[in-house]
Amino acid sequence: MTNLQPNRRRFLAGLGAVGTTALLSGCVTSTSTSTSSSKGAVTLQSNLSAPQAKAAMEDIAAAYAKKGSGKATLNTVAAETFRTQLPTYLTSANPPDVYTWYPGSVADAYAKKNLLLDLDGVWASSPDLKRYSKALNSLCTATSGKKVFVPTTYYWWGMFYRKSNFAKWGVSEPKTWDDFLDLCDKLKSKGVAPIGLGAGGNTAWVASAWFDYLDIRINGGQYHRELLAGRHRFDDPEVRKVFDRWQELLPYFDPNGTAIPFQDATTALLNGRTGMMLIGTFFADAAPKGALDDIDFFRFPVIDPKVPLAEEAPTDGYFASARTGRREQVADLLSYLATAEAQEIYIKGSSGTTLPCHPDAKDAGTALVKKGRKHVAEAAEITQFFNRDSSDALQPTADTALTKFMAKPKSVGGILTDWQREAQKIWQA
Amino acid sequence: MAVLTAPARKSPARSLPRGRRAGGPRRTPPLVLAFVLVPLLAEAVWVFWPALQGFYLALTSWDGVSPPSFVGLGNFREMAHDDVFLSATGHTVLWLVLFGGLSALLGLGAALLLQQERRGVGFYRAALFLPVVFSLVATALVWQAIYQPEGVLNQLLQSVGLGSLRHAWLADQDTALYAVIVPALWRQIGYVMVLYLAGLKGVDPALYEAAKMDGANIWQRFRHITVPQLRSVNAVVLSVIVIDSLRSFDVVWSLTRGGPYHSSELLSTYMYSTAFQSLRLGYGSALAVVIFVLAFGVIASYLVRAFREAD
Repeated sequence: MTNLQPNRRRFLAGLGAVGTTALLSGCVTSTSTSTSSSKGAVTLQSNLSAPQAKAAMEDIAAAYAKKGSGKATLNTVAAETFRTQLPTYLTSANPPDVYTWYPGSVADAYAKKNLLLDLDGVWASSPDLKRYSKALNSLCTATSGKKVFVPTTYYWWGMFYRKSNFAKWGVSEPKTWDDFLDLCDKLKSKGVAPIGLGAGGNTAWVASAWFDYLDIRINGGQYHRELLAGRHRFDDPEVRKVFDRWQELLPYFDPNGTAIPFQDATTALLNGRTGMMLIGTFFADAAPKGALDDIDFFRFPVIDPKVPLAEEAPTDGYFASARTGRREQVADLLSYLATAEAQEIYIKGSSGTTLPCHPDAKDAGTALVKKGRKHVAEAAEITQFFNRDSSDALQPTADTALTKFMAKPKSVGGILTDWQREAQKIWQA
Repeated sequence: MAVLTAPARKSPARSLPRGRRAGGPRRTPPLVLAFVLVPLLAEAVWVFWPALQGFYLALTSWDGVSPPSFVGLGNFREMAHDDVFLSATGHTVLWLVLFGGLSALLGLGAALLLQQERRGVGFYRAALFLPVVFSLVATALVWQAIYQPEGVLNQLLQSVGLGSLRHAWLADQDTALYAVIVPALWRQIGYVMVLYLAGLKGVDPALYEAAKMDGANIWQRFRHITVPQLRSVNAVVLSVIVIDSLRSFDVVWSLTRGGPYHSSELLSTYMYSTAFQSLRLGYGSALAVVIFVLAFGVIASYLVRAFREAD
C-alpha cells in the first residue's frame, strides 16, 4: 500500500506530464501549422488518379520544385471521392490550397459562395495567361467578373474505335446518322456489341455523354445549356425527342454496358468485344500505351443538319481555395501551371491525348491529336459535360434517370417526370 | 482501482484525522472523477454535440456551404411523399429480416456445430470468423469481381450447364439487393457465431446431463435448455443485428451505390447520397434522425420486453 501511493502519485504526475506535453505539442503543432499555412509547400489536391495521369502530375510537381521559386505537395485522391469531398475541402478551416477541377458553371457555383481565391492578379501578372484565348478568358471568369480558374488542358469526346478492328470487320467511319445505324447493324451481324458504354460501377456518369450528344444534335447547344441551368424542364417534349432517338439505338448497346465501369468497357473495346464507344480522351490513360496508335475516333453523327454543330470539349485546370494561407505561393504555382513548359510536361507524362490551353505549348503531335484539334476547331459551339454545364449535385439525378431508361425504355414518361422532380429539389436547395 | 482503494476505506487511521464521520458517504477520489469526466467531456464534444447538431440540421435546408435555413418539419413532410425514401425503408426492412434473420440463424447453427472441442474445430471456427477481419470495402471488391458479367459466378454457372442463368447481378434491379446481402451475410455469420459460442460455453453442462438422464432427445435439449439459456445472448445478438442492419452502408455503397436506380437503396445509402452527393445536408440529417429513431425504437422495445420477461 505504501508503495502504491507514491506510484499512483508518480502515475498521476506522469499523466499530467503527458497531458501537458500533448497540449504543448498541440500548441506547437497548431503554431507550426499556422506558420506553415503561410509558408511551406503548397498542397495540390489532384483527382487525376489514373496511373499515367498521376505520374504526369508528379513530373509537374518535381519540375516546379526544380525551378526553385516554391514547392507543391501533390495529394492524389480517387476522382469520385474527390468530387464528393470537394465542398468539404473548400469549407474546412485549413483547406488544401490548389485543386484540379473544372471551369464554367461548376467553378462559378463555388465562386458565388466566396470559396474560390480571386485570381485576377495571377491573370494580370502572368505573361502566359495574357495570351490565352478570349473563350478561355470568359470560361474562367465568374459571374462576379473575377477570374477564378487557370485552364491548362482540354480534350474532346467522340466515338472511339480500334482501327485494326474496323479493318478486320470491313467497316469504316460513318458520316451520317443512317450510315451510323448501318454500321451498328453490320457490327451486330458479326457478333460484336456495336456500342460499348461503361456506365456501371462508379462511372454511371458516362451515360450522360449520350444524353448530352443527342440533346446537342437534336435541340442544339444553347437549349442544352439552358436545360442544364434549370431554364427548361426534363419532361418537356424537346427532351422526350432525345429519348425517342436513343431508343432506336438501344438494341445496339453492349448488354453489359450498365454493369461495368468505363475502364472495363475500354478493355472490351480494345479486345474487340465492342465496336465503338462514346468517351473522352481520358479513357486512354487507362489503356496500354502500345494500343494508343491503333485508336481513332469519328464525330458523333449529325442528326439534324440545321442544328449548329456543337462538340463536348471539356477544359481542365486549377482553382484555389479562398481560405488558403499561402496566397503568394499559390499565385506562383498557378502561374507556373499556365506555362507552356508545365503543360508539355503533363502531355508528355500522360497518355498524351489532351490538348494544351497555352497557345505555344506543343501537343503530342500524333495523328489522333491533330484530328482531335481539328474536330474541336470545326465546332460552332463547345459544351463541357453534363455536370460541368449544370452542377455536381445534379449529376446523380441524371445517373438514376439514364440507367433506368436504358433498362426500362418504355417507362420513359415516368422517368422524365421523376427526373424533373429530383432536379427541382437540387435547383431549389 | 478497486484494489487500490479498498484497503484505504478500511483504514480508520487515514480517514479519521480528516474529520470524516465513520460510516458516512465517502468523497469520490479525484482520479476516479477524472477518469469519468475526461472521457465524458471528449464524448460530449466529439459525439453528443455533433449528434445534437444533426437533430438541429434535420430541421433546416442546407447545401453544406451557405448558412442553413430553418424549415421546421419540412424535411419530414417531404419524406412522406418521397418514393425513394419509402422504397429505401422497404429495402431496409427486407435487409433487417434477411440479413438479420439469416445471420442469426446461420450464426447459431455454426456455433452449435462448432461448439464441441474436436480435432480441427479451431480451423473451422477461424475460417468462419476470417471474413470479419477483412474490411467490408475489401470484401465488396472481391465480391464485385465475383459478380462481374465475366466474373467467377457467371463462369461457374456456364461451366455447370446453367449458362441461361448468367446475369449482370449488380446491374439488374431484380437481383442487386439480394446480391449485395450475400457478402454482408458472409461476413456477419462469423461474428454472430462467436457471440453464440461464448453463450454456449456459459451453459452449465450439468443441465444437459440431467436432461439426458431424463431421456430428452437432442431437439428437446435444444428447445428446453439451449434456447432459454441463450436468452441473454439473444438480446446482444439482436442489438448487434439491428444496429448493423441499419448502418449497413459500406458493402452496398462499394458494390452498387444503392443502384441501379435506387433498387438496392437502403436508408443509410440514401442518407449519404442525399447529403454528400446531392448536397442536401438538411434532408440527409432528417434521414439520419429517422435511422436513429428506428434503431433506438427497435432495440429499446426489445430490451424493455426482455427485462419484463426476466422480472
